[in-house]
Amino acid sequence: MTSLLCRAAAATAVCATLATAPAFAQIPELSADDVKSTRPTPRTASGKPDFSGYWKGMKDTKPGGNIGKDLPGWKLPLTPAGEAALKRNLTATVDPEAQCIIGGIPRHNASGLPFEVLQGANKIAFLYWYNYFRLIPIDPNRKHSEDPDPSFFGEELGRWEDDTLVIDSVGFKDEKVWIDENANPHSDALHVVERWTRPDADHIHVETLIEDPKFYTRPFTYSRTWVLGAPTDQIAEYSCSENNVHSDHLGFGPGPIRPDGTRGYIEEAPLPPPLPTP
Amino acid sequence: MKIRFAFLVAFVVGAAGMRLAAHHSFAAQYDPTKAIRITGTLSKVEWGNPHTYFYLDVKEPDGTVVTWGCEGAAPAQLSRRGFKRGDLKLGDTMTVDGYRARDGSHLMDARRVTLADGRIVSGGSPGDGGPQ
Repeated sequence: MTSLLCRAAAATAVCATLATAPAFAQIPELSADDVKSTRPTPRTASGKPDFSGYWKGMKDTKPGGNIGKDLPGWKLPLTPAGEAALKRNLTATVDPEAQCIIGGIPRHNASGLPFEVLQGANKIAFLYWYNYFRLIPIDPNRKHSEDPDPSFFGEELGRWEDDTLVIDSVGFKDEKVWIDENANPHSDALHVVERWTRPDADHIHVETLIEDPKFYTRPFTYSRTWVLGAPTDQIAEYSCSENNVHSDHLGFGPGPIRPDGTRGYIEEAPLPPPLPTP
Repeated sequence: MKIRFAFLVAFVVGAAGMRLAAHHSFAAQYDPTKAIRITGTLSKVEWGNPHTYFYLDVKEPDGTVVTWGCEGAAPAQLSRRGFKRGDLKLGDTMTVDGYRARDGSHLMDARRVTLADGRIVSGGSPGDGGPQ
């Protein structure tokens, strides 16, 4: 794949980066538009787009990890209950994902981690680092349950609308969940509609509608594009709770959020100078 | 020297390439004002997920020995930078630069590791919001 893509790519640097980028990484040097593709959308035997592949994030996903990425000033339309939930997340909860609890949707779509898709005739599987997966039936006749068991990924139903795969999800948990890495909240009223497309062989795109009338005054959207990894890239074993030493040392919340919408300090004390090499 | 420089460059590039890949936020665990350096004897290695840990026995000025835990990135992240489990041997004398845990425990973020052979490697968890 890489060699084919390199022939189509506009710049040699793009080829070199794709060929050498580690499987665990997004491709920070590139934006989605930097990666050109002349190869058509692969399709299954039924003629629908095949989303299978290993997908890496791009540098134009800013701020990363923030579900308000596409909103002015990244300002989420929180209700008073949502504001209270955010305050609770910031001051009284430890990041669930850091405790090896499933991040769920839409958080996984805002993550910097790559993911892998395997698609069958009537089901599609999303495989994530941390060894989590979601398995979604593609069946236009399926309806949501009246009272689905709450889960981190929700009750997910897939259907085709022409070449768009629509995943409609309800039935989410309302505890031990952050909607993104910045500790923004969601409630059990969350409703997520993902609209996935594969415009060519080397890109995958999602348009996401997020509704949560308990915590947000209006629906909002989150969109993102990923680029295809190398054929040898794949998810590997990751036993998240193997050695969670840090869990006893984590504080509440994600820490400060920078003006650019990402988590972290603006300026840390400098490390001591490196030791002279012998 | 060229080899060592190449290692350092590889780690910097590798770290940049893994933004947002962290398992937990740097700021939720570490104090940005407490940049420290410890030098001690390697007494234990835990090369597992979600973070690697290695432990150094550090002699205090009063002669007592304190064991420090040093948290590094996940094995897959470190090994892709060229930092392998085999680079750590019990009894090695090592120096670690990083940030101390906010809770005051003897746990630190191993941002920069000077191995027994003098090689300098990046141990930090990229994408955790900490210094890259």
